[in-house]
Amino acid sequence: MIKFDNVSKRYADGQEALSNISFEVSHGEFAFITGHSGAGKSTLLKLILAMETPSSGQLIANGVNLNRVSTTQIARHRRQIGTVFQDHQLLHDRTVYDNVALPLEICGYQPNDAARRVRAALDKVGLLNKEKSFPEALSGGEQQRVGIARAVVNRPSIILADEPTGNLDPGLSAEVIRVFQQFQSVGVCLLVASHDAALIERLNCRKIVLEGGKLRADQKPRPKA
Amino acid sequence: MSATKRNNDNPNQPRVNRNTRAGQSGSFGDLFKLHRRIAKVSAIRLLQTPASSLVTLFVFAVALLLPALLLSLNSNLASLLAGFQDSAQITLYLQDSVSEAEGQEVSDDLLTRNDIEGAYYVSPSQALDEFGASNGLEDLLIEMTANPLPGAIVLTPLDVSSSAADELARQLQELSQVDVVRVDSLWLQRLAAISNLVNAIGSVLAVIVIFGLFLVVGNTIKLAIENRKAEILVIKLIGGSDMYAARPFLYTGLLYGLGGGILATLLQGIVLATFNSNLEVLMRLYESDFQLRGFGLMSSQLIIVAGAVIGWTAALLASLRHIRAINP
Ligand SMILES: Nc1ncnc2c1ncn2[C@@H]1O[C@H](COP(=O)(O)OP(=O)(O)O)[C@@H](O)[C@H]1O
Ligand SMILES: [Mg+2]
Repeated sequence: MIKFDNVSKRYADGQEALSNISFEVSHGEFAFITGHSGAGKSTLLKLILAMETPSSGQLIANGVNLNRVSTTQIARHRRQIGTVFQDHQLLHDRTVYDNVALPLEICGYQPNDAARRVRAALDKVGLLNKEKSFPEALSGGEQQRVGIARAVVNRPSIILADEPTGNLDPGLSAEVIRVFQQFQSVGVCLLVASHDAALIERLNCRKIVLEGGKLRADQKPRPKA
Repeated sequence: MSATKRNNDNPNQPRVNRNTRAGQSGSFGDLFKLHRRIAKVSAIRLLQTPASSLVTLFVFAVALLLPALLLSLNSNLASLLAGFQDSAQITLYLQDSVSEAEGQEVSDDLLTRNDIEGAYYVSPSQALDEFGASNGLEDLLIEMTANPLPGAIVLTPLDVSSSAADELARQLQELSQVDVVRVDSLWLQRLAAISNLVNAIGSVLAVIVIFGLFLVVGNTIKLAIENRKAEILVIKLIGGSDMYAARPFLYTGLLYGLGGGILATLLQGIVLATFNSNLEVLMRLYESDFQLRGFGLMSSQLIIVAGAVIGWTAALLASLRHIRAINP
């Protein structure tokens, strides 16, 4: 589903954020990307989302060759991906409801159908009572959960999340992870960048460790006892 | 709208939305509602910056007004000059073999055609008399034994445009009694020349105006896009196409075009009313009842439609260009 083949990313200023990364994540897999700040976690997710292009190596996600994509292909590719951004990326002049409905609107859903899905997604993150609020009026953790609802509302085939539990207390973090696991169980491929060591330790997930842009370790989940 | 399969490699995931077509709006009503909502949002945004929106609207209206007035002038000019159509004549010189009675008959026949205003027959002897009278050569002509002049029919076409007159002349050439056809086209030529000139000026002006409007709308849209850069970025990040992101701005252009067009027709009405009251005095002195007609209903619609098309197209080009440049 996602395949990095010797991928490097060098930014315009010469900074090499990723070097010779190779790994593969398939359907129904839940993998954490972890590593210290500046290790290249966000860059890796940006490559998958076609926000950046690889400097070398080959990257294929969801059957799309991300080394060479047209603008139209990028838009279609992103519609198949639900992304939780580190800085939320919510629209501040739209209500929580309208923010979560945006991916459905882009895909042209009927209002009734969209309403059902939006409410279901908001329910999953426990924000059903905030649908008429504006993001400004929400706490950082609530905004993050709006971002999560928006990422899952269109039932994507890939979910990318950049520090999705960064602003959440342990209880809410566990809740968010449970939402992710529901999607994992129906075959969605999840890549979650996080440096929340405690959380990662508790979960028996695959762990891809980056250090200074290099792949340090790729630990498969322990086989179930 | 049928479900189009995308290249998803695992079909065994029923709950996962593999192709985003399922449950999408197909009905015309939904589409209409959606577009009405986008149009409303665009209108609200325009009202949020009333001053700059109004300036753009006025620039749009005045720019449309210039060629509109010129067109109106042209159609008025044409109707004014049509009053001189008596000078537009076609002369048919008849074969020598055609008798006076036959010539008179051909002339009467021509009057029944609906593209001919008037026709009269000039017999060879009348022609000779006129020729002599106008040249002071009566004495000389008396000396002549045979009349060298042919009979002729002088006619006034209904349509004085030179192309119509030429066409009529070509048709009349076919008549067996006709030897030579001459179009006395000085006025026709002048008319055509003036009309061509006004049309040429109109075309050049229209091109300049369209170009100018593209710049004005383009700049307005550019500013609007800069103001909503964050929103466009988010839309692009979650898979909205450039066209999707452009939609509100297309309505902005369309609204400017429609509003500018409507304003232009109103301004035109005012301008023509002012001209007319001055003209009235002048024309009374000349005992003419000529009036500037302005534009009828059709032409007002034409201005408004032209405005809308220009506004929308300019917005399309500008928004796609600027939205393409916005990247994460
Ligand atoms: N747009 C950019 N231009 C230049 N350098 C960048 C850019 N984004 C990130 N970097 C650099 O790339 C490295 C990896 O960054 P990032 O992927 O954000 O790491 P992480 O998310 O793991 O903290 C860092 O050294 C960062 O300074
Ligand atoms: Mg980061």
